[in-house]
Amino acid sequence: MTAVSVRNVSKVFNQGKPNQVDALSNVALDVKQGEFVSLIGPSGCGKSTLLRLVANLLEPTSGEVTVNGKTAAQARLDQDYGMAFQQAGLFDWRTVRKNIELPLELKGWDKQQRSARADEMLQLVQLPEFGDHYPWQLSGGMQQRIAIARALAAHPPLLLMDEPFGALDEMTREYMQGELLRICAATGTTVVFVTHSIPEAVYLSNRVVVMSPRPGRITKVVDVSLGGERNEDTRNRTAFFEAITAVREGLRGMHAAHVGLGNDDR
Amino acid sequence: MTIHRLTMLLGKVVPAILFGALFLGVWEWAVKFFELKPYFLTAPSSIWQQFTTNFALIRGAATVSGTNALVGLVAGTVLGVAMSFVLSRFGFLNQLITPLAVALNAIPIFVLVAVLNNMYSITSEIPRRIMVTLVVYFIVLVNVARGLTQVSPTHVELMRSYAASDVAILRKVRIPNAVPFLFTSLKIAAPAAVITAFVSEYFGGSQNGLGSRISSNIANSKNAAAWAYVLAACLLGLLFYTVSVAMESLNRKGGVKQ
Repeated sequence: MTAVSVRNVSKVFNQGKPNQVDALSNVALDVKQGEFVSLIGPSGCGKSTLLRLVANLLEPTSGEVTVNGKTAAQARLDQDYGMAFQQAGLFDWRTVRKNIELPLELKGWDKQQRSARADEMLQLVQLPEFGDHYPWQLSGGMQQRIAIARALAAHPPLLLMDEPFGALDEMTREYMQGELLRICAATGTTVVFVTHSIPEAVYLSNRVVVMSPRPGRITKVVDVSLGGERNEDTRNRTAFFEAITAVREGLRGMHAAHVGLGNDDR
Repeated sequence: MTIHRLTMLLGKVVPAILFGALFLGVWEWAVKFFELKPYFLTAPSSIWQQFTTNFALIRGAATVSGTNALVGLVAGTVLGVAMSFVLSRFGFLNQLITPLAVALNAIPIFVLVAVLNNMYSITSEIPRRIMVTLVVYFIVLVNVARGLTQVSPTHVELMRSYAASDVAILRKVRIPNAVPFLFTSLKIAAPAAVITAFVSEYFGGSQNGLGSRISSNIANSKNAAAWAYVLAACLLGLLFYTVSVAMESLNRKGGVKQ
């Protein structure tokens, strides 16, 4: 079954006004269950817009988005996905545990169920001793792990992430990538992941979707043949570098076309 | 840890006390040494002597002004909070009222008390309390409305991803976000309430509060007594401010980052 299906989707902001923006033009993408797909491209290529269309935080101007075989709107109402952003977006007035419990509160779970699930999620992100801390007492990487725990608290089949590690330093970032893969393997969650970083996209993904701006569209899809098990050695493998090169060429080809030059440097 | 904190506290308090004592000492010495007349400057010792001998009267006057300030503070806060909810719900009202509130804050609106005095009997405390209410109302309104509307876009997006209703967003995001704004506004409004209560007394009405006692004592050339009432006014303002700061720090212990 396909987890996410995007068919001929276009999104136009401020249609008919002088500041009209063609954010996405005729985009099609299928994501299989359990798959990890990254969206990469320069600013303005519509990767965040595409993610928000899947999340039903935006409505497409034309075309159709389905999530788990339902309309995106129904999937949102059923909380079929969890979401994480560049800012961890934790609530400073809630303890870590209460932050994780928030989506469950909104689903109307009772206190015992919520508390048991919060324990489970704290265990999953390996921060069991921090439940009663407040978010600002945690480092940036820990806050992002709590945000992931919150996004997965209701056990959604799909996780949507918008540059979640963009504000972290390089070392923390690589550690978090490993953590995310471990968590997704443990839960079998499908992930759609927006990023600016080529190595990050390749390390995490089964497929990397390269996008280009004006109008936002998909220009290339790179299959990453690194297998399921990934660790620090993965970053030294030839297949890793080959995939990075393929993504980079996808991005560069678009850049060369954009400035009107041939791809003559190679 | 506790000993460390105690020394930290002493390190902050001791210089302030020393400076205060030095200031009073120089003041006392200057009055004696230059033989300043009481109508020009009164010595701290004679102010203190007036303060202790007239303590019952001063306490009575402080109770009158303090009650006016407190009633106005509570009423203004309740009204301000209520109105901020209405404003945050209806954005167009916000655009109408906020500039007005800011403009009214910029002018000394307590002169309105002269008008209010004409509406009520001469011995009524109501005009003064209305005046305090108005001043507090605008301070609380502007701040709490800001707290209700200026929420993190990530938080709103997150709540929408949970298909949360507007009421749920209000309860779980907007109101908790506005709480620190409320305490900040109280920290500004509490001293302002006391000042407004004093100044309102200068526009007629019963001669029973600290403000009117100060002006009548000066009119009778009883400068040391006037200063004693000024001292009481300072203490009352400090009391209001200290309580509002204590409330804010209690709230912060409940988990809200400064």
